[in-house]
Amino acid sequence: MAPNNKELFNLPPEIVGKADINNLLRELELLESELIKLKGQASLSASQKNTLLRVTNELAQTAAGNNYDLKIASDRQKLTRRLTDVRDQAPLLYISFAAEPSPKVTQAILSWLRGNVHRYTLLHIGLQPAIAAGCILRTPNKIFDLSLRAFFERQQPYLVELIKGAALDQTVQSAAEEK
Amino acid sequence: MSNGGILMIIGGALSAVATILYLDWRVKNPRAKKPSMPPLATPAAQKTEALAQPQTIKSAKEDVEHIFNDEFREELRNRGRLHFEKIIGENAMFLQQDLRQTTTQLNDYMRAEITRTLQEEFKKYEQSIVDAKQIALDSIEKTVTTIEQQRQLMETQMQTQAQAQRNQIIARFEAQMAAVINHYLMQAIGNQIDLTDQLEFILTELENNKTAIIEDIKRGT
Repeated sequence: MAPNNKELFNLPPEIVGKADINNLLRELELLESELIKLKGQASLSASQKNTLLRVTNELAQTAAGNNYDLKIASDRQKLTRRLTDVRDQAPLLYISFAAEPSPKVTQAILSWLRGNVHRYTLLHIGLQPAIAAGCILRTPNKIFDLSLRAFFERQQPYLVELIKGAALDQTVQSAAEEK
Repeated sequence: MSNGGILMIIGGALSAVATILYLDWRVKNPRAKKPSMPPLATPAAQKTEALAQPQTIKSAKEDVEHIFNDEFREELRNRGRLHFEKIIGENAMFLQQDLRQTTTQLNDYMRAEITRTLQEEFKKYEQSIVDAKQIALDSIEKTVTTIEQQRQLMETQMQTQAQAQRNQIIARFEAQMAAVINHYLMQAIGNQIDLTDQLEFILTELENNKTAIIEDIKRGT
C-alpha cells in the first residue's frame, strides 16, 4: 500500500484523486519530453528554459513537499514512481455531496482522512442531490451514510417521542377544556 | 206512571161515556124492553091487569114525559157533559201529571243511562288511551334502547376505525417522516446551505465512523 521507500511520501491535499495523480504523471511525462527537446536547443537562455519548463502548482507543491527537483531526471523518475505507487496502491474512497464541494471543503476532509485513516487516501467525489446535507462515504466494502437524512433517521424515535408527547399533551389539554 | 194506571184512567173514562150514552138512549127510546115483571097469580088478576095495563102505561108515559121533559133531559145532558168534561179534565190532569212524571223519570232514566253509557265509553276510551300510551311508551322505550345500542355500536366501531386510522397515519408518518423532512430540507435549504457550514458535521460523523472506515479499508486492501 504505502511506498516501499524509507522516506514517506507527502501527498499534498490539492491532490485529491486518481485523476489528479494521472494529471501529475501526464505532466511529468510532458515535462520529460520538453526537457529532452530543450537539450538539443543550446541557444536558449536559462530564463527562456525556465519559461518553457513552467509546471502547475500541484506538481510544484508535490515536488517541493518531497524535496524533489524537477530539473533533475532522477528526482522526476522517483516522483513518477511514487505517484504511480500511490495511484495503484492507495485506498480510494468515494464520497458524494449534495452539491459540488469547494476546494476548501475537499481539502479539509481529505486532510482529516489522510491524518486519521490512511496517509495516501484518495477521493472520488460524486454528486447526490438527494442527500440534502452531509455526505455519503463509500469504502471498498461499506457505505457510510453521513448525510443529514441518515442523521434524522437515526433520530427518528426521539422525534416520534416528541411528537407523541406533544399530541398527548394536546389531547389532555383538549379533554380538560372540554370538561 | 205504570200501564195499569193509564188503563184504569182510560177504563173510567170509557165507563162514564158508556153510562151517559146509555141514559141518553134510554131517554130517547122509552119503548125499550123493560125488565120483566113477575107474573100475576090469578086469571082475574090477569084480566084486571090486562084491562088496567094500557091505562097504566099511558099514565106512566105521561109521568115519564112529565119527569123527563126536554129541559130535564137537557139538564141531564149538560150535567153528563160537565161530568164527562170534569172526568176528562181530571184524567187529563192526571195524565199530564203522569206524563210529566213519566217524562221526568224518562229524562232521569235517559240521563242516567246516557251518563252510565258515557262513563262506560269514557272508561273504555280512557283505558284505550292508557293502553295506547303504554304501547307507545313501550315502543319508544324499545326504540330508545335500540338507538342506544346502535349508538354504542357505532361509537365502538368509530373509535376502532379512528384508532386504526390514527395508528395507520402514525405508522405511515413514522415510516415517511425522514423522507418528508429530507424533502422539506431539500426544498427549504438544499440550495442555500453551504458545504463549508456542513464541514464540522461531516468531520464529526467521520470521526464517529473512523474505526469502521479504517477496518474496512484494511480488510479491503
